[in-house]
Amino acid sequence: MATITVPQAVPSSAEDAAALMKAFQGWGTDEKAVIAILAHRNSFQRKEIMLEYEEMYNESLIQRLQSELSGDFERAMYYWILDPMERQAVMANAATKCIQEEYKIIVEIACANSPAELVAIKKAYHVIYKCSLEEDVAARTRGNLRSLLLALVSTYRYDGDDVDMGLAKSEAKIVHEAVRNGTTDHEELIRIVGTRSKAQLKATFICFREEHSTSITKALPHGTDRTGYLHALRTALRCIVDGNKYFAKVLRTATRDSGTDEDTLTRVIVVHAEKDMKDISAAFQKRASCTLQQAIEKETSGDYRSFLMALLGS
Amino acid sequence: MQHLLAQASSNSSSAASPPASASPVRLRPSPSSRRDQQHREREAPAAAMADEHQELARAFSGLGGLGVDEAAVVSAVGRWRRQPEKRAQFRRSFPGFFTASGGGGGVMERCEDEYVRQLEAEFARFKDAAVLWAMHPWERDARWAHHVLHKAHPPAVLVEVACTRAADDLLGARRAYHALYHRSLEEDVAYCVRDANAALLVGLVSAYRYEGTRVSEELAKEEAKALAAAVKSASASGAKLVQNDLVVRVLATRSKPQLRATFRIYKELNGKTLEEDFAGEPCLQEAVKCLDSPARYFGELINGAFKDGADKQAKAALTRVVVSRSEADMEEIKDAYAKQFGAKLTDAVAKNAHGHYKDALLAMIGK
Repeated sequence: MATITVPQAVPSSAEDAAALMKAFQGWGTDEKAVIAILAHRNSFQRKEIMLEYEEMYNESLIQRLQSELSGDFERAMYYWILDPMERQAVMANAATKCIQEEYKIIVEIACANSPAELVAIKKAYHVIYKCSLEEDVAARTRGNLRSLLLALVSTYRYDGDDVDMGLAKSEAKIVHEAVRNGTTDHEELIRIVGTRSKAQLKATFICFREEHSTSITKALPHGTDRTGYLHALRTALRCIVDGNKYFAKVLRTATRDSGTDEDTLTRVIVVHAEKDMKDISAAFQKRASCTLQQAIEKETSGDYRSFLMALLGS
Repeated sequence: MQHLLAQASSNSSSAASPPASASPVRLRPSPSSRRDQQHREREAPAAAMADEHQELARAFSGLGGLGVDEAAVVSAVGRWRRQPEKRAQFRRSFPGFFTASGGGGGVMERCEDEYVRQLEAEFARFKDAAVLWAMHPWERDARWAHHVLHKAHPPAVLVEVACTRAADDLLGARRAYHALYHRSLEEDVAYCVRDANAALLVGLVSAYRYEGTRVSEELAKEEAKALAAAVKSASASGAKLVQNDLVVRVLATRSKPQLRATFRIYKELNGKTLEEDFAGEPCLQEAVKCLDSPARYFGELINGAFKDGADKQAKAALTRVVVSRSEADMEEIKDAYAKQFGAKLTDAVAKNAHGHYKDALLAMIGK
């Protein structure tokens, strides 16, 4: 469930556009006004406002926001104003540019979205970047990491609940063999994780746990892996098995006392605020000693904090 | 099959029956004596009968060609009503379809089960074409892919569907596959294909290529060079190129215009086409052909269906290609066919197919 709140009586897009222009005028920007409008509109309404603004004032709202705002707030607002599919396409593209460090983002986008959403993201990628996400991912990676990322990004999984328990048992065995043998010979494991439906994979991992008394993520070898393949694999498995728990953990890590990771906070909250942030918040609270809002309150400041809090429904 | 017919027709006349559906040539006895003339007068009805038998044999697909000539069969049924002797003569003239049985002098001619099975396939061609024509293109492609995978047929059809359809049509076919079979196409390909071609096939069916025209000449050059290096090293080490990471990555992810630029530059740099350098790896050659020049690929498939000794899959390709391309690139296929085989596609189909099946194909091919 989403956490953003949209007022019952929504002003027209023309009214919103005019209010935004008013917020930009004069000395400095009225960030509170910007947040009060944009953080409380859904993607369709935001698109209307953008079109109306451009027609009324002959300039791009995105560019105006980028010049009026700054820092983490500006980055968060930039991602927020985009259409949800374009947003993740832009994030994916940024990740492919330094894929050895940011492959995790590609994995999240590939595994946490529904199959139909992933297709829409790839379509948006074609339009914006005039090439495919698959080509960019494949061209910049090697070996097992490439095989895994390419499979995760290219697949169009069956989205239904049909599960073949016999197959789940036999593939749990295959997975166990692959994991036991280190990281060589992971073709079968990548095949399974990269093509089976999420329901089928969940069943396979349940069989794995029943058979071997440990979860698949714990069974993966924990050694240092310079290629990032093991980490990517672990991320994929976590996203598929329980996306809410995964993102809750990501947020907990990002709000640690040892330094807040604003980029990660922005990425997770902006992408999920109009999707399933409520469930992620609940998962966060289960394992943390405070609510997500409290953690954000503590670890961030200024307009950036106000914006995140607005997205979280405060 | 055809040689049996040739034997058969010579029983009833001194004609030599050629294979395929050219009209039969008959040797006439030289007109010399009255006895010869009388002989000829007695022979004429027999010769006409032989003609009729040949026509009917052709209608039953006995002289080669695809489909059956329903109208000719119906006409014979009408003409020979209450004339069992005519039908018996026909049976005797068609040893592929019927053999003498009943010991001693052949009391009865019985059906050859093998031929009946072939006939079922021939009668079914029109039905298959009609049903496939009515189906949604995505469902067609999903069913063809599923059939190939689960009957362990050669993967050429998978390559064809994956590489010749537009990106959104391939995606649609994958969606149809979900609905029909409750699995994804790529999971079935990955699970069923266990040979060297697996990585390439999974990559090709999973592709969602950029469909715009933007091409980077620099990238094409870089990848053409890298492919040339891969080809060279594979020929030295004997490794299979279909399992080469670079080859699979390029063929499975780049857009078609980008690939065509790469193939063009490859030829300019190396003198040979990539297709030629992929000799010995049919899956790769098919992929390159389908990506680079699908019209030529389809023309060759159609021609393959007409050849003597074409097997079941080669013949089925005719229906598949005509139905699936009728509203796509049929004009280009007609041009490519004429260029490569020196004959109009419509003429070749008219010559090599019969009855409603032929008419349906011609209607789908257009003038």
